[in-house]
Amino acid sequence: MLAALAMAATFPSLPLASAAAGASFFRERVEPLLQKRCYECHSHGGKIKGGLVLDSRAGWQAGGDSGPAVVPGSLEKSRLIEAVRYLNPDLEMPPKAKLPDGEVAVFEEWVRLGTPDPREAKTVEKAGVDLEQGRRHWAYQPVRDASPPAVQDEDWPLNEVDAFILAKQEANGLKPGPEADPHVWLRRVTLDLTGLPPTEAEIVEFVADHSPKAHERVVDRLLSSIAYGERWARHWLDLVGYAEQIGTEGKVFAEHAWRYRDYLVESFHHDKPFDRFIREQLAGDLLPAASPRERRENLIATGFILLGDVDINAIDKLKMEHDFVDSQVSKVGTAFLGMTLGCVRCHDHKFDAIGQQDYYALAGMFRSTRTTFKTPHGIWSNIHRVPLPELEEDRRIGAAHEEKLAAWRQQKQNLETELNATENKELREKLKPAITQLELRIAHGEYFHPGKPQAIAVQDGAKPTDMRVTIRGNPYALGDAVPRGLVRVAMWGPQPEIPAGQSGRLQLAEWIADSRNPLTARVAVNRVWQKLFGEGLVRSVDYFGTRGDTPSHPELLDHLAHRFMQEGWSQKKLIRTLALSRAYRLSSEDAAAEPENKLLTRMNRQRLDAESIRDAMLVASGRLAAPSGGPGLPLEFPENISGLPITAKSNHPQFSIRTERVSQNHERTLYLPVVRTGTQPGSARLRDVFDFPQPAQFTSKRSETTVPTQSLYLLNADLIRERGEDLAKSLLSVKEDDTVRLARLWLRVLSRPITAAEREDALSFLQASRAAGETRAWTELARALFGTNEFLLRF
Amino acid sequence: MKILESPINSTRRAWLQRTSAGFGALALHGLIQAAANPLAVRPPMVQPKAKRVIFLFMSGGPSQMDLFDPKPLIQRKHGKSVNAPLPEQHRHESTDGLLALGTDIPVRPRGQSGVTISDLLPHTAAIADELCLLRAVHADNNQHGPAALQIHTGAIAEARPSLGSWVSYGLGTDNQNLPAFLTIHPGIDTRNYAASFLPAAHQGTPLTLPSKASDPAIAFLTDPATDGAAQRRRFDFIQRMNHRLLARHEEDARMEGMIHSLETAFRMQTATPELVDLSKETEATRKLYGIGEKATDRNGRACLLARRLSEAGVRFVQVTMDGWDHHGDIRDNLPKSCAASDLPCAGLIRDLKSRGLLEDTLVVWSGEFGRTPWSQDLSRTAPIEKHGREHQPESFCAWMAGGGVKGGLMHGETDEFGFRPMAGKVHLHDLHATILHLLGLDHERLTWRHLGRDYRLTDVYGEVVREILA
Repeated sequence: MLAALAMAATFPSLPLASAAAGASFFRERVEPLLQKRCYECHSHGGKIKGGLVLDSRAGWQAGGDSGPAVVPGSLEKSRLIEAVRYLNPDLEMPPKAKLPDGEVAVFEEWVRLGTPDPREAKTVEKAGVDLEQGRRHWAYQPVRDASPPAVQDEDWPLNEVDAFILAKQEANGLKPGPEADPHVWLRRVTLDLTGLPPTEAEIVEFVADHSPKAHERVVDRLLSSIAYGERWARHWLDLVGYAEQIGTEGKVFAEHAWRYRDYLVESFHHDKPFDRFIREQLAGDLLPAASPRERRENLIATGFILLGDVDINAIDKLKMEHDFVDSQVSKVGTAFLGMTLGCVRCHDHKFDAIGQQDYYALAGMFRSTRTTFKTPHGIWSNIHRVPLPELEEDRRIGAAHEEKLAAWRQQKQNLETELNATENKELREKLKPAITQLELRIAHGEYFHPGKPQAIAVQDGAKPTDMRVTIRGNPYALGDAVPRGLVRVAMWGPQPEIPAGQSGRLQLAEWIADSRNPLTARVAVNRVWQKLFGEGLVRSVDYFGTRGDTPSHPELLDHLAHRFMQEGWSQKKLIRTLALSRAYRLSSEDAAAEPENKLLTRMNRQRLDAESIRDAMLVASGRLAAPSGGPGLPLEFPENISGLPITAKSNHPQFSIRTERVSQNHERTLYLPVVRTGTQPGSARLRDVFDFPQPAQFTSKRSETTVPTQSLYLLNADLIRERGEDLAKSLLSVKEDDTVRLARLWLRVLSRPITAAEREDALSFLQASRAAGETRAWTELARALFGTNEFLLRF
Repeated sequence: MKILESPINSTRRAWLQRTSAGFGALALHGLIQAAANPLAVRPPMVQPKAKRVIFLFMSGGPSQMDLFDPKPLIQRKHGKSVNAPLPEQHRHESTDGLLALGTDIPVRPRGQSGVTISDLLPHTAAIADELCLLRAVHADNNQHGPAALQIHTGAIAEARPSLGSWVSYGLGTDNQNLPAFLTIHPGIDTRNYAASFLPAAHQGTPLTLPSKASDPAIAFLTDPATDGAAQRRRFDFIQRMNHRLLARHEEDARMEGMIHSLETAFRMQTATPELVDLSKETEATRKLYGIGEKATDRNGRACLLARRLSEAGVRFVQVTMDGWDHHGDIRDNLPKSCAASDLPCAGLIRDLKSRGLLEDTLVVWSGEFGRTPWSQDLSRTAPIEKHGREHQPESFCAWMAGGGVKGGLMHGETDEFGFRPMAGKVHLHDLHATILHLLGLDHERLTWRHLGRDYRLTDVYGEVVREILA
């Protein structure tokens, strides 16, 4: 009775007598139904799906993630009624089958009566995000300037990095292992910094250089090479989901994507300050530019936002746009902040203090950004592009191209005139295909006009607005609007003012690139560390949240992060410090090391990534082509494109590689096209075999796996044989003894001198293989070396 | 063939011995990734009903209405507009009219059980009592790419491990000469059989039945340039180099794993051609699958190969049959797709049964979605008889047979249009949970730690469909 009174007090319009009746209606009719049909998933005794509990009055009042389950008296506004009526495909309860009509009627009656519920009010805790608690996590604490600790063995450290490493080892009763052989160090540093092995000449030079500056000279030479820019551009591309294909339906080319790739090469090559690099990629379109060239760079940089996977063939464009925004928020989280934000689209983060409010604050910025547009081809969309400010060279190239087009058009016209003038059937049959061919050429030339440069880039939308929470990611089920802003747990001040008419990306970029941001520099520095030492100081390199790994050397991480920012966010300075440390010189062999090697008493071994495997073979065979840049997909061949010329009914133009660009066989793997579906084209196929990440993923640490398909590839693939043959021919082109050739072969493939046992083994291998000829024998030997573990690993 | 012992370093080996609590504990600690042989057989978590899976993937989206789920209302209203509850955002010009498209070939109750099957599938109809027909399956996306990704991986947009990869990770495999997950004639989207963040050993290996004897069934299986003796010489030289290298170092699980993998690859070169050589099968068996008949040869050979691989201990075999995407003239085109797949699929069930393999082999037949009860006319000028059907993830049919499911059962109902599921709904997540359950794997406990989160095939969804368990 007390309960009934309490209930009556809640709904004063309900007369007391009917309140008692309502209570008994609930007990007799509604409660058994709730128990039978709902409690399994919506009670404290069962699961609490969608955050909704129905075993108390407070439960349905508070509701679940999508708000109150019942609005007393209103059938229309009560989500529970909507759900049991099975009228909205996105909200059907119970999920497996519609209730019998009689049971639906009971719920309807209950709501109509004002939802009498005499159950004792259990208070429902709506778990919010506890920011204070969240900020205690190490990664959200400010970066501290830690000074190098004192060590017992003062002779060992070559620089400050070593002091941190050694101090930790000494504190744990460990000693660093021996240094690596010079050949091993040179191969290591050359591969790590440039993705290429040292050449014969570089090995000879380094081994002969006994000056104390020998290591420095190598590191400086490597850092200044374009190969360094290429190597680190590829690392960054792993975080972008980069491909030269848009979406996975059909094969729609991203004909301007290469500009972003080349922008990365240039940026790393010129050691663009990392904070600047961040601003350009997130908000380049909103930055001032001193010259057309700078403006171009700024625009191209924003390709970061767009060059991921997007379902451009979706009928439901609203959903497509929301999904794309989601991937952008996830990418920003992973690439710059080491946060997983994707799951927050549907619910507050389970482990980190990141709420839906944070997610939609960021999502609103990307929702306010132009990222896709509808094409005239059926339901196809495409990703946004902007014309680039023209430079003098564009005008020159454009004019030359126009001349060519004009000539073709004239030629076509001549043929058409001829066609119209003749009745000769034979001649007509000859003229028609020639005209069609010219038409295609012209259409192709107009479509891929080199004088009208464009970039895949963003602009702010016409009406930037805040975004509303979508219930469980459904863009048609909307919750409250969330003001655009930043991720609260990693903030140190108030939310920024976003000027009217702007997306807020600039404010996002400023916050990420701020030296007070606790995550940015730590994440960046840790990634570089991981590339050089095999494992990060924080091993979960893409995730610094509470369920990630804690830093093995927190002071060192902070020291490096602090110094990185102090030294102008220079990645080259950072790498120089790491590469010239004693720790980086250690041998990967150390019997006394602990198995996990967390304290770095030895170097971690790494498997070469797909690019390095292929590129190293090119270097070894002496056939590596000079850097090219430009489009990876061979779109210059009209036969590789379908859907041209564009007509009212033509499908979206697509690519299908029938003709390959032969010169690509000897270019670095970075410059080969990356596709999203199907095997990677041409010699880029090797990527599929050696753990190239799917371009829908954002990951900075590739998996390193060992599977028989890799071994089959090494044993049998044409590519390995061709590189082996190039190498064999190169060795045989100089008249030398076999023993000299063998020495050179070992230097080129394994970057070290051959041993006596190996020489003997190789000589008898050659002897046994000679029946097929000298080139064949050496090819077989080179192929074999490319298949060895020593070639595939960096020690 | 002897299975090489997993080279695990001593510390870890000791740890593994201490924690013999079983697979669950291992998975929780993510330490399985430390094992050098990730394909070693692992015990299931719960009592399994099936030991292996053959997944017959009908790529393109077969029309459930024409094949399994007849709708009198649609038949009655053929050519007229129906008032179906299709949300606005899912409409587009070619299906604007929502014209009911009846079927001209009957769908009838079959066998003892009365499972309804079209006359277009006479061979499948003859094994009706083996089938557990799911009539209210539903998925979340109406485009091929994302929808296919969902039936393979559970996710629509992200790269996640494929069903076969999860099974390989959960159970390992009996045949160490072959990968645990083989996919015959897969489509071009490699994400559908990718291991994603699981170790790559669990990724699906594509297999193509060679049209010429000289073509390899698996990419790079043979060396086109040198003979066997030369290749052997090279292989031996590589392994000598590898062993010398290993001897210079202390224990290194990866290097040992690479040596092991090279040996497996070498054996695969012999084992695979033997397995894909169907010529040793009897004429009767070949006929059972329709091998040698123009319409059924390709799929028949694929299905027979699937049986041979399953028999040889491969954990998860997939066969993809395409051609189900009937946007236009479905009345003319659907019979062709049926003719190409009916006998091979039914033959597989019969063959498995006669060999006693059906009871512990789970066969699953499904498309990535179904098709609309109303018509689609891309040309916008064709008569209704020449119309096709648009994609429909809201409801469609799939069937399962063998290992642990009830035969001769129909589960699930759709509304009067055949659009929305009304009872016995089975989401793809539920289907996945059920497949794992039948294999003795708990979909909530089969996890992999990635970016700080324990990922599962079913994400945060999925319930085992208990009603269909035998």
